Amino acid sequence: MGNIVNCYLARFKASLQIDSNIKESVAQELYTHLKEKSEELKEKGFSEEEADRLAVQALGSPELIARQIYETHAQGSWQEALLAALPHFTVALLFALYYWQNTFCLSVLLMAIVGMAVYGWHRDKPIWFFPWLGYYLFPILVSSILLVYFSPQIGWIATITYVPLALFVVIYIVEQTMKRDELYALLMLSLLPVAFGWLLSPGVGDKFIRSDIAMVQLEAKVPWIVVTFVVLAMATVAFVRLKQRQHKIAVLLIPLIAILFSVALTE
Amino acid sequence: MNYVRELLKGNTDCLLLSLINRQPTYGYQIIKELEKKSSGYFQFKEGTLYPALHRLEKSKLIKGEWQLLPNGQQRRYYYITEKGQQVLANRLATWQDFSAAVRAIIHPKIS
Repeated sequence: MGNIVNCYLARFKASLQIDSNIKESVAQELYTHLKEKSEELKEKGFSEEEADRLAVQALGSPELIARQIYETHAQGSWQEALLAALPHFTVALLFALYYWQNTFCLSVLLMAIVGMAVYGWHRDKPIWFFPWLGYYLFPILVSSILLVYFSPQIGWIATITYVPLALFVVIYIVEQTMKRDELYALLMLSLLPVAFGWLLSPGVGDKFIRSDIAMVQLEAKVPWIVVTFVVLAMATVAFVRLKQRQHKIAVLLIPLIAILFSVALTE
Repeated sequence: MNYVRELLKGNTDCLLLSLINRQPTYGYQIIKELEKKSSGYFQFKEGTLYPALHRLEKSKLIKGEWQLLPNGQQRRYYYITEKGQQVLANRLATWQDFSAAVRAIIHPKIS
């Protein structure tokens, strides 16, 4: 097949930001289609270049096909949307019921997070898996920050050993996710501004750093914490259900606004 | 012209399911069959076929499988699923009722 077809397929692939397996499969399908159409036209007496040009013309805009294919694969089911939002709803519930300091509840949540993250990683990384992966990364990041802060007491060797390893794991996971789709990385990391927003908010951040983590007092801010996690959960549901990329990006900005607004109100 | 396009858009799934139900088939053949069986009436913009096929596959109404042909070429054949057959039967029944009702109004029988 000539340059016309290769150029067409390159434009298609460049316009389709989706799982690489799906992208390659659809591109191969289009290639087969173009090849058969072009062969048929050549049998009718057209030159190779003319046949390729007509085949490509009949298939239509590669950008439009890429957009329609994206919209088909980008929209998750309601089941996937709820599963994706489940960790955020669970955290909101833990705060609403004042169970956020209950060791048993936190242990169960931690086990669920690890279980879902490992399960999703080995099941082709479905869309619902990425918010769980965000929660999986969160303790790694928090422990790194704590190690840096408390390194004079704990020892620099532990810090020098652990922090680069933790950063490597986080960067590796983010990179792998971005290869799949940059928006999935955004979905995964959408937890961080909300969680760190509260952890480092004035009044909380000082206590958090000065005293033991278990003693962090957030009671006065609990209603707002619940609200921000519910907003994050609802934004996650919308993200999974929406079809267009720009809408997905826009919906993930809502929790950011919510955390800024809530932290400012509770200051 | 736009009216035909609108009608076609609303019935694309039904047409594709009907063709795939007859025999497992692939993209290019579907385009040709649609044109041939409708005597050129249905002229799909070819590129719109693949998003439609992928949408049906995502809804588990059809299933796509790559097949290696003796000449070394690969084709993705689509098979109808059990769920697809049920949906098709429902849609055909609805379509028949609908077209009968439209005919009864457009061409009323003189009693």
